[in-house]
Amino acid sequence: MTHARRAFGPTLVLLLLAASLAAPVFAEDPEPPRRNYFVYVCAESDDTVHQLRYGPTGFEEVAVIPVGAFPTETEGPHGINISPDGRHWFLSIAHGMPFGTVHKYETGSNEWLGDATLGLFPATMDVSPATGLLYVVNFNLHGDHVPSTISVVETGTMIEVATIDTGVMPHGARMNARGDRLYSVNMMDDELVEVDTMRFEIARRLYLGTDPHAGHTGMDHGDMGHMRAPVVKPTWATKPSPAGKVYVAGNGDSAIYEVDLETWTVSRRLDAGAGENPYNLEITSDGGVLVATYKSGHRIGFWNLESGELIAAPEATRRVPHGVVVSDDDRYAIVSLEGIGGEPGTVEVYDIASTQRVDRIDIGKQAGGIIYWNGEP
Amino acid sequence: MLATIGRKGGFGSGPQRMRAVTALVLAGVFVAGAAFAQEPAELVVTPAELTVEVGGAAQLAATVRDAAGNEIERTVLFFSRARRSVGVNPAGMVEGYRPGEHTLVAMVPAEEGATNRRAAAVLMTEIPVTIPFPPLASISIAALPGNLYAGTTLPVATSASDSSGAERNPELSWSSSNASVAMVNEFGMLVLGDAGTATVTASAESVSTEVEVRVADNPAVRLELSAPTGTVEVRTGDVVRMSASAFDVSGNEVPDYPLQYASFTRTPATLVAPGAAAFVEPDGAFVAERAGLHTVVAAGGGLTARHSIRAVPRNVRKDWEIVGRGPVRDRHTSDLWVWEGLDGRDYAVTGTWGADGHAYFWDVTDPSSIHLVDTVRVDARTVNDVKVSPDGKFAVIGREGASNRRNGLVVLDVQNPTDGVKIIARYDDQLTGGVHNVFIAPQHILALSGGRRYDILNAEDPTNPYRVGRFELDTPGHGIHDVWVQDGIAWSSNWTDGVVAVDIGGGGMGGAPNNPVMMGSFKYPNGWNHAGFPYRSQSTGKMLVFAGDENFPWSFEPGGDLPDRAAGWVHIAEWDDEDPGGREVARYQVPEAGTHNLWVEDDILYVGYYNGGLRVVDVSGDLRGDLYQQGREIAFFEPADPEGYKRNAPFVWGPQPFKGHIFLSDWNSGLWAIKLVDPETPRNMGEPTS
Repeated sequence: MTHARRAFGPTLVLLLLAASLAAPVFAEDPEPPRRNYFVYVCAESDDTVHQLRYGPTGFEEVAVIPVGAFPTETEGPHGINISPDGRHWFLSIAHGMPFGTVHKYETGSNEWLGDATLGLFPATMDVSPATGLLYVVNFNLHGDHVPSTISVVETGTMIEVATIDTGVMPHGARMNARGDRLYSVNMMDDELVEVDTMRFEIARRLYLGTDPHAGHTGMDHGDMGHMRAPVVKPTWATKPSPAGKVYVAGNGDSAIYEVDLETWTVSRRLDAGAGENPYNLEITSDGGVLVATYKSGHRIGFWNLESGELIAAPEATRRVPHGVVVSDDDRYAIVSLEGIGGEPGTVEVYDIASTQRVDRIDIGKQAGGIIYWNGEP
Repeated sequence: MLATIGRKGGFGSGPQRMRAVTALVLAGVFVAGAAFAQEPAELVVTPAELTVEVGGAAQLAATVRDAAGNEIERTVLFFSRARRSVGVNPAGMVEGYRPGEHTLVAMVPAEEGATNRRAAAVLMTEIPVTIPFPPLASISIAALPGNLYAGTTLPVATSASDSSGAERNPELSWSSSNASVAMVNEFGMLVLGDAGTATVTASAESVSTEVEVRVADNPAVRLELSAPTGTVEVRTGDVVRMSASAFDVSGNEVPDYPLQYASFTRTPATLVAPGAAAFVEPDGAFVAERAGLHTVVAAGGGLTARHSIRAVPRNVRKDWEIVGRGPVRDRHTSDLWVWEGLDGRDYAVTGTWGADGHAYFWDVTDPSSIHLVDTVRVDARTVNDVKVSPDGKFAVIGREGASNRRNGLVVLDVQNPTDGVKIIARYDDQLTGGVHNVFIAPQHILALSGGRRYDILNAEDPTNPYRVGRFELDTPGHGIHDVWVQDGIAWSSNWTDGVVAVDIGGGGMGGAPNNPVMMGSFKYPNGWNHAGFPYRSQSTGKMLVFAGDENFPWSFEPGGDLPDRAAGWVHIAEWDDEDPGGREVARYQVPEAGTHNLWVEDDILYVGYYNGGLRVVDVSGDLRGDLYQQGREIAFFEPADPEGYKRNAPFVWGPQPFKGHIFLSDWNSGLWAIKLVDPETPRNMGEPTS
């Protein structure tokens, strides 16, 4: 394998820029992988999770795992993540009676191990490598616009041991490498929040909006958010980059916000273009490239984070791009596409260096939550 | 080491203190200082286990040591595995909320700054916490009848509560000052012996209560047991109200005389090994499940009386004929609605499930020639429910799985389906969570939202519906699945909360669409309530609630090859109009199958019984016990289709009787129309063919 994460940096950025100018999106990997890459993907309207493998033999479905408890109800598997040790995957199911649930499975065997009832529409989640606790945002997508919570779950017993008051429609949840800070957004409060995973409390809030009564962008306004009309409507926050930046998807104002964790301010605002509506984001391990799904724009955006310039934005093969993950070697971005109505969901693989789509596969309806697994417990 | 510490002033008092502690528990961490280089090897929490009273507090202390035994400074995080029962704050202060055996956890997170992929605290220990039940405060013995007679036996009811006011059910010890007069046996029955006075005492823990029992001589010399006049022969399933009384030597009725009922049966020679053939309930209601000569016995104080009744087979069985079909084989079919259109023709609409948002409109004027007249497709994966307004002018379909997650409902003009069905309105404001079920009261639409509540929309102008009201329960973890309106009362089905009646204009409790007022509910133990159908019996005038379960305890594979199975039954409750609430009196249960949607008309129950097919049941007269066992089932029909979405796998979603036919939607095969016909040969399975 010649692609490697160490290639990122100025040299790679130049390569990416050149590729974006010269190359259309190819349908075939010019240099097929010599190893396997796995993802788990939720099919939200089929109540299934699909384990997929991209490797030397192509893009294949390894397993389809039916999830949920009521087969004639659509319960909506939405968020998914892997434990830092790779031994388990966790799945949030949005709809219950009425509260949603989070479930624990063993990777590989996909054996169900346990569950816990959380709040309304539990969605994105991440596990702290410091505590082993799971932090799940309760999105409460369909409820009144009232502050919601982040649930803290002990994964050994699958018991909710705490709830953290956060804001309206919390979504996106990604941990820093140490596992002592979780980054999430409150969509209808235009906020990025930093959660102290040890204290079970919000450590910092950052208002991203432009409300004139709220002062300039980037000012911390604590819990004033409930009085403001959302503009940014953030839907995602990445893990911190090595440079100490977190990237936030401004789904409402078609922008990507770069937040400096040291100063806790917005250090850059990347304009994605009208109608592109970034939804989920992922960065390469060196922080050189950001990949964004544009939900309304039906495109996948590749950004050079050094220059802040868009490298390429290839059109996806199906409507409503949703989730994105980057492989552990930074070679591939793997993207889920929901589709509409009876269309199947689709998962696409992009070669990050060339921004070319190299493979795709159809899965169950409304492919959404996606997580990368290196295939090793 | 055990430690028990009483209340501490630092926590404040009462609710304020509870809130403060709760907030601290949510913080849930004690940061002891910056990490040192030493690796933590031992976490010692003292005390290692605790006993605290409800409302009491105790202090935990944590020490982290390295492998050499040196104390090191590391973050120690406390949390509770039962935070609603026992809390722990950042300083390790524990407070008891609810009795029981609980567990606290103390952990040392992985070294700060480390990026070890092994997600686990480096040290973790559990601290068992026992919160004993508060001491019992009181035991009460329910009032006994005014007259107690020697030689009789009657049940005695008790209640108990602890010092927190919570109800308890302690094991009681009984004693008597004179056991030859009165005693309570091991089954909780008050056994009265000789005439006289005795004090009966119930004790548990350090609490006791007593009641003085005055036993009079037993004046009864005979019992009389009778059935309503003229009751000689009944059909299986008929409810016979038996009446028993005791009389003294002068022929006067003895008041408060305790009686128990039983029955035995002699079945026809052709009915072998019938099992339980009849039952009689404590109030004297007798029901024969099998044909035969049944004898009811009333007993009390050594006296007995008998009354015999002959029961014959109910003989309600019908055969069915398939009249017509509107097959849907390429996707699942959901609910249906059949109505007479403004043009005088008859139509049906069916929804689709887990597909691409279709609703199908059928001309069913001639049920033997059902044909599709129009198809509406909306942005959805599932159109779970379909309803048509009573005036036949508009229909409402619910959306689930919309691509933008703004589900809501769609209003359709169905004034002339033959010439096309048109979308005239979409409504998703605050209904984005998926509209699983709708109902159209004359001028209002009731629409479920996200399984939590229903909104009430004014639909006087169906092109412009707008919200006027909303109803949502406030019980913990409440959910809702279905709603049906009859005479200004909305009957919703709410899983563990059962069927809930809400006055939205006809309940006499001041309710209106913009002011829904809860009237009462009927809930039952299994918590599977999925559908409810209110019905006033034509034969008895009683208000009944038919409550259907939904559950899937067995494997279910919508995409698999094998037929699927559900579980559950229909619970039938008599509804008290004066004090709104339901009392379950009967059930209809098909073993190894499960119910879905219901319809009741002309004292006949129609059940979409999933893998049990369509079931048609006689629900005339009073109802008690298991209607299936009583031979009340009129017919069952299993719509198998070898070319169905799943082959030969009946899975009936919903039934609707209409103009002499029964229409039903089947998940795997679409729309069916059948009619019931008299059987050429009477068939009562298991009964003699007299």
